[in-house]
Amino acid sequence: MSVLNMGGFGGKDTPFRFTPQRIHLGKDHELFEDGDIHRHMYLQNLSSSETDEQPKHRYVSEFGCHISGCCQRFRSVEEYEHHYNSLHRHVCSACRRSFPSARLLDVHIEEWHDAMFDILSQSQDMYQCLVEGCGLKFRTSKRRKDHLIQIHKYPPDFRFDKTKREHRSVVPQQAGGAEVMEGVCEAVLPATDPEQHQEEEEDMETVELQAPSGPGEQGPPSGGTPQADAETVSDGQRPRYSYRWVVIHGCIVGEGFHTQLKGSGFDPRGRHPENNQTFYISIH
Amino acid sequence: MANERRAEEVVLRSISGLAVKLWATYFILFIYIVFHADAMWRLSSVRHKAVPQGRSLEEFKLKRREHEKVLRSARKDNLLVSKRLLLCEDEDETPMDAASGDQVVHLVQKLQQSGQEKETHLKALSGSLRNPSAQTVFIKHENSMHLLVGLLSGSQAQWRLLALQCLHELSQSHQPNVTLACVPATPYLLTYLSGQSTKLTELCLYTLGNLCPGSDVVRDKLLAQGIIPALKNCMESQRSNLAVVEAVGFTLSQLLQAKDAAEKITPAVLASGLPSLLRSVLSPDPQFGLAPAIECAWCLHYLTCSTVGSSALRADGTLSRCSSLLVALGGAVSKGTKEEGMELLVWPLLRSVGNLLSSGPPGDMGSQGGDLLPALCALARAFLPSHPALALESAWVLNNLTADSSELCAALLDLNLVPELIQLLPFSQGINTMLLRVLGNVAHQTNRSCSQLARAGLVPALCATLRMSEPDVVALSLEVLFMLVAGCPQAAEEFVGQNGVALLEAVQYNGDGEIRQRAAHLLEHHLPAHLL
Repeated sequence: MSVLNMGGFGGKDTPFRFTPQRIHLGKDHELFEDGDIHRHMYLQNLSSSETDEQPKHRYVSEFGCHISGCCQRFRSVEEYEHHYNSLHRHVCSACRRSFPSARLLDVHIEEWHDAMFDILSQSQDMYQCLVEGCGLKFRTSKRRKDHLIQIHKYPPDFRFDKTKREHRSVVPQQAGGAEVMEGVCEAVLPATDPEQHQEEEEDMETVELQAPSGPGEQGPPSGGTPQADAETVSDGQRPRYSYRWVVIHGCIVGEGFHTQLKGSGFDPRGRHPENNQTFYISIH
Repeated sequence: MANERRAEEVVLRSISGLAVKLWATYFILFIYIVFHADAMWRLSSVRHKAVPQGRSLEEFKLKRREHEKVLRSARKDNLLVSKRLLLCEDEDETPMDAASGDQVVHLVQKLQQSGQEKETHLKALSGSLRNPSAQTVFIKHENSMHLLVGLLSGSQAQWRLLALQCLHELSQSHQPNVTLACVPATPYLLTYLSGQSTKLTELCLYTLGNLCPGSDVVRDKLLAQGIIPALKNCMESQRSNLAVVEAVGFTLSQLLQAKDAAEKITPAVLASGLPSLLRSVLSPDPQFGLAPAIECAWCLHYLTCSTVGSSALRADGTLSRCSSLLVALGGAVSKGTKEEGMELLVWPLLRSVGNLLSSGPPGDMGSQGGDLLPALCALARAFLPSHPALALESAWVLNNLTADSSELCAALLDLNLVPELIQLLPFSQGINTMLLRVLGNVAHQTNRSCSQLARAGLVPALCATLRMSEPDVVALSLEVLFMLVAGCPQAAEEFVGQNGVALLEAVQYNGDGEIRQRAAHLLEHHLPAHLL
């Protein structure tokens, strides 16, 4: 019993194939299993009474994140939306880090991937305070961090204020069509252990130091090197390569989609100028 | 004078009071019988195997769960076989202890001698034969079956019955060699079906029903010996005895469940005139209960599963009969009346209607179709908590009703059943997939159908189903969405207004290529460009 059949509503030039179809089921069809079992339990005098109800959650559809490779499941649309908005909306297409808000993403891109920023910050206060409305700017990220801790009472290990190293942050390199995303699914997961965060941050920075630097300050990444993922680690063994989830290249998804992006010019935020939507693909 | 009149009045009042009381009592009794029909059928004069006494409920539930697993794996291997044990009033079910192997031999030897205590020995023998190892010992003992058949066919009525009870115990066995050993008795079992003793008839029927499954040899022999005409005659002549009718139904259902039934058995059953008898039993009797109707309905289901059965039964009123019964049952559940065991009748009726609809020309349900739609929705809703598979099968019948019928699609909309169906979309295990097919059938009709679907709230429902984890659900949701927005521009606008564009963009990252393709196509061609 296939879901989609030949013929269709839209004709040959659409990919849609649904057509109304009467379905015949044979005696041994799997759809009839529960009913047959119930019948035979009755014949053998083992019927249950109505009060033995099945728990409802067993057969309610779960919601699933569409992003290929992200295997998260949710009980409600709200949970799904929360996951999606938190992890897949504001993603830096250069280094694939995920941020909880557009503002933090913008600050990150400016500070990490903007050559002009690097130049200007040598002579001006460019590091803006992360708290919206504060408006203060600082000469170094350390000073900003101190400001955040002292004035705004931030924790010293705030996840979205990592120091960029001297080396250019590397991007994952991989032959083949898929790009790699690191650790983003754990970014806002409530169950994550704060200690793991600490380890992971250090680990990421360690890997950055070890890996060769990328082609330059600006410009699209050409591929990627894998980054370690603390969450899959056990016994202190840190794998060199391990992937949390995979994003499909724009070119694989659909030609029209890719064309739109190409026409609009590269933007590391992956923002489509016409509709202001943030994408999470990488362009190469 | 006044005194007389007063006395008269008093008498009249007391008589009318008594009449009222009597009427009330009868009424209460009637209600009790009708609404406790489920209890009645279990307590009818010939008892079936009872729930084990003296065990705790938890033990029983555990046993049942384990047994269910066994049945499921048996079904996967096409080996799902059940046997019924008929107990007479003075019997109880407990098996004898393990020493009965020797006891069996001893009893057989005693019976082989001519003597006066045959009754005692036969009763003891039937008790011993409840034990599986004793059964093996019995059939291996020389001439033991010959002895039993002799007593079964002899002139002593009581010995016939007791020998039959021994055979009945043997028929419980799942060992093929035990079943085969009973074959010499079958001509007599069939002969007694047309006899006058209903007790004997009923026991013969259950014994035959137990012997049918599990052995092709036994079945072929029974067919050659004329079991089908015999069953038909028995049912016809004993129509008023519902216990016998139930037994005929059971035996026939055991025959029809065989793997090769479609080729070997179904044509003979169709030719025999049994289907019309089965149909006539379908309405539950308020006093006797659901059991005979249940057996006959399962027979009809097995018949309609095959194409030859389905086309034959479509022509002779079975579809109409089963549909009207479903309408009545749907009406009953929507009023809150849900008897225990009702699903055992609903299930085979749904399947019969579903398969009958799948064959032959579409769309000739007449006005019955319009009655059936709300009944199916009511049944799905009522049985979803306890039996989700039954809700799925209701949805399947809805699909078969609406697939090729513009009248029934229109009726679904006009009867305002779409919101009800939408409420069932969160449920998995095939339910939402099948319901999306039904909604697709409606959307496939006309642009007006699409507008009505949109007004009934389909767009937000699709926004939810597009986020579900099952690929089938997502794929069908895209198909339905496509038809909806192509047929109704307002639906497209509503979808965009509900953040549908972002949703479809996310769907473009789905692991399934066909899903990605459909999402992309919708974005490119069917959502209003100015809103993108």
